[in-house]
Amino acid sequence: MAERGFSVSRLPGFSTVAVMVFVALYLPIAMLVVFSFNSGTSVAIWEGVSLRWYVSAWANEQVKEATFRSLIIASAASIVATTVATMAALGTTRRKAFKGQTLIYVMINQPLMVPEIVTAVALLIFFATIKVATGYQGLGYLIAAHSAFCIPFAYLPIRARLEGMDYTLETAAADLYATPWQTFRRVTLPLLMPGVIAGMMLSFVTSLDDVVITLFVKSAGQDTLPTYMLAQIRRSVTSEVNAISTVLLGLTVVMLTVFFLLTRKKD
Amino acid sequence: MKKLISATAILLLSTSLASAEGELQLFNWGDYTNPELLKKFEAETGIKVTVTDYDSNDTALAKIEAGGGGFDLVVPSASYVQIFVEKGLVQELDLSKLPHHDNIAKQWMESSYDPGRKYSVPWQWGSTGVAVNKTAYSGDINTSAIFLDPPPELVGKVNVTPEMNDVLSLAIMYEGGEPCTEDTEVLKKVRDKLMEAKPKWQSMDYGMTEKMAANDVMASVYWNGAIFRARLKNPDVVYGYPKEGYPLWMDQVMLLSDAKNVDEAYKFLDFIMVPENAAMISAFARYANGITGSEEFMPEDMKTAPEIIVPAEFVSAGHFLPTCSPKAQEYYTAIWTELQK
Repeated sequence: MAERGFSVSRLPGFSTVAVMVFVALYLPIAMLVVFSFNSGTSVAIWEGVSLRWYVSAWANEQVKEATFRSLIIASAASIVATTVATMAALGTTRRKAFKGQTLIYVMINQPLMVPEIVTAVALLIFFATIKVATGYQGLGYLIAAHSAFCIPFAYLPIRARLEGMDYTLETAAADLYATPWQTFRRVTLPLLMPGVIAGMMLSFVTSLDDVVITLFVKSAGQDTLPTYMLAQIRRSVTSEVNAISTVLLGLTVVMLTVFFLLTRKKD
Repeated sequence: MKKLISATAILLLSTSLASAEGELQLFNWGDYTNPELLKKFEAETGIKVTVTDYDSNDTALAKIEAGGGGFDLVVPSASYVQIFVEKGLVQELDLSKLPHHDNIAKQWMESSYDPGRKYSVPWQWGSTGVAVNKTAYSGDINTSAIFLDPPPELVGKVNVTPEMNDVLSLAIMYEGGEPCTEDTEVLKKVRDKLMEAKPKWQSMDYGMTEKMAANDVMASVYWNGAIFRARLKNPDVVYGYPKEGYPLWMDQVMLLSDAKNVDEAYKFLDFIMVPENAAMISAFARYANGITGSEEFMPEDMKTAPEIIVPAEFVSAGHFLPTCSPKAQEYYTAIWTELQK
């Protein structure tokens, strides 16, 4: 640091603002976690430490079913989304720049731009027609919908990884008479793996969190954890919801930590 | 991975075959159905009830109107009953399959939106009134003046629920009009009254069971069952029935036109009209249910609760909110928008 360039951290009040931002971000979450251990029935009055809400959430059939359903949907959707996203990323980066490339990017990332409610209403009407025509009301619709909006979340880290990998190893493999498939299987994919796993985790978490689209697409008996929680808090906020949120939060933090560790490697 | 895929496949298959014998799909408000009630029903009939939650009448209507959701029963509020009937989304009930239909209390049998209860069976009902913390104000609480002309002790300590129909109806009746009025003179007075009162309010928010119990809010426009639960935590909280008029609401169960489990649905509808079963509904969500004779099966603390059993002198002031004409809706929305600015 020979010259004093512009740095945000030297602006007056930087630490005050930073602390305020972190308080605003994390204080509500901290409160939620603290009150999930409340022994009383209130979410506003502290009555002592207890695990009763975790026990009661665990004993609640509806919570268990909704959790299981959320995990099934998130697993299936993240697998589908990651597969599609990997192919899309290979198709858009492992070649010379082509005309309309930006358009393709925009189209793949469309679920990030279009307001969720618009997609939700469109899917409600579209799927309802299919549901009536075929009589099939299973989880397939939710998995399809979740896969669709998870694609960009899987696509972005995979593409970033691919753009950071140069062609030398692949060219070397081709020089040594590897077929294109062998090159992909033995060289490209292993190098790409951290990106793929990161993409899969991001899409898993995104699917697990979704409310709006799920609310509109779900059929009878298909509440996921977030839609179940949303319907609970309308009447009264109980600490059971806090307990479920805390578990969900824990799960998300674990996944994001793994994501961070995987993407940090070698950078 | 293979396990996961096969688990998914099994789940996909099993849910697509979900309308097998002995199933019933209930589409209801969240946290509103007593799991014990469903267990008892399953023990008696062998029918397994699956509950799917919604959080607003509009969501329920939108999903049912789109079709294909696989629901059998839905529980809309009074003002939505006519909408479901007019759109042909629900079917008329065959009363011969409902031997306990006569248990519906006379007051609810003659409801304006479903006379004779040909389409709907009561689930729960309640009122919107004003709750006050006795330690903050000891005067008359059975009046909408609590939030429209707050006494000096309550200025800056009143909450108003952000529910347009409830708040405007209370204000209209306070000014001597009828809910859904199109009389612009009355509506002008209502608007001026609300705008004048607003600076004296603390907030426009939900969650008063907690906040009133915790003494964070000293008075609020709110629902009786929620205030009942607040009083159990904090005995200083009292519920008032505005004598100028207050809104009543009821949620009722209706049978959908595209229901697949019709016989099971009839069994359930009849089941919830048996007094001890209706009392189980009330015991869970803490509202009255509209079934004659259910009071004696209710939990002790509800039998005498002034929030649940309306004191005789205030019964006549309770009014069902009709479905407003589009013009009245427009006025409502205009006032509400101005109020929320």
